[in-house]
Amino acid sequence: MSEEQTKKGFNWRKWVIYFCILAGIYSAFLGPSILKPISPVVVLPAEPTGLSIGGFEITNTMLATLLADLILLTIAVFVVGKFMRSGSLVPGGFYNAFEALVEFLWNTVEGAAGKWAFRIFPVPATIFLLIFVANLVKLVPGFESIGRIKEVHHGYGYAPVLLTKVGNLSIYTIDKAQKREHVAKEGEHGEGHVDQEKLCEACEIVPFLRGSATDLNFPFALAFIAVLMTQVYGVWALGIGYFEKFIPIRQLIKGGAMGAINFIVGILELILEFAKILSFGFRLFGNIFAGTLLLSIVGALTAVLVPVGLYFFEVFFGIIQAYVFYLLATIFISGATVSHHAEEAH
Amino acid sequence: MNDPEAFVSGLKLLGAGLAMISAIGAGFGVGLAAFGGVQAMGRNPDAAPIIQTNMILGMAFAEAIAIYALAVALIIIFAA
Repeated sequence: MSEEQTKKGFNWRKWVIYFCILAGIYSAFLGPSILKPISPVVVLPAEPTGLSIGGFEITNTMLATLLADLILLTIAVFVVGKFMRSGSLVPGGFYNAFEALVEFLWNTVEGAAGKWAFRIFPVPATIFLLIFVANLVKLVPGFESIGRIKEVHHGYGYAPVLLTKVGNLSIYTIDKAQKREHVAKEGEHGEGHVDQEKLCEACEIVPFLRGSATDLNFPFALAFIAVLMTQVYGVWALGIGYFEKFIPIRQLIKGGAMGAINFIVGILELILEFAKILSFGFRLFGNIFAGTLLLSIVGALTAVLVPVGLYFFEVFFGIIQAYVFYLLATIFISGATVSHHAEEAH
Repeated sequence: MNDPEAFVSGLKLLGAGLAMISAIGAGFGVGLAAFGGVQAMGRNPDAAPIIQTNMILGMAFAEAIAIYALAVALIIIFAA
């Protein structure tokens, strides 16, 4: 009986996948040819979604980050919390996977930091989980393609096509076949509400949700936190003497010629600390933004087969980038807890 | 050539593209790190976790060069 049921469940899942593939092929090639892949608007700054809290505009990347936070909190409360409350000692299901992930992270930190691992672990692990979830949730279909339709400011747009009507909400798509140039209208600066009423001529789509790491603010905020926490842990472990790594005054006074060289090396390390923020931030941003660009371009060229492989590639890269960020943060922080001069003395 | 603004913006895009040539060096560096890492892991499979960590670290530093080039390219396009 139970074997029959599992077999049935498996078949059901298989048919869902077949149906999804067929629906994709139908809407891409055979159908009304309207649901052609919509390449997202490639812009560097995050677009405002129109929501705002006290005059503070919420951009679509911010919404995506909030969504990632929400998913993490849900996991914490409803998966880990439920398991903890249940009192069972045998992990199972989703909790097991989560535990394996955390254990893997813990082993890396313990290997790098030794006895400081317990204190260091929360910072890089939190960063890892946030980047991990944000990078994976960004690949959910609809993430960068569903949004408001808007008149382009310059360059080319596409004609809008009515898809369906749900209540009094009309759903449009843009037709890539009808390319239209933006017509600059003179004397119409204060639009805003007028745009909502009448439909645009040459349109682009401003998505509601966009991958958080495609906005420079997200990786740079995390990079800043990681480098700041490096200094905090350095001072925690070595006291105020930690800053002698950057400004080795004692060596300058006592060391003679070598001391002067060490002084300059120390200042170079100070510069390197700022370079860390730059390389941390741009590494994550560059990889994820390039991935988005690649998917949008290839998705516009071929519809069915190739983007699947690239999607898999993007899943892999999202995980790898989160891991690289985490690994570098761990190694920098654990390096800061080790005294600089103790090694030289040996 | 009659439109100096378009000429300059075209040259900006060209400069940004040229800045990304440094990706050659970064790609070479990442490949070299993977080469060394995989060879070391083949010779000494027991030390694979340590080698892997250091390999990824080295790759990340080599990749940083390409990231600086990307930063320069973005600055050329959007800020300069």
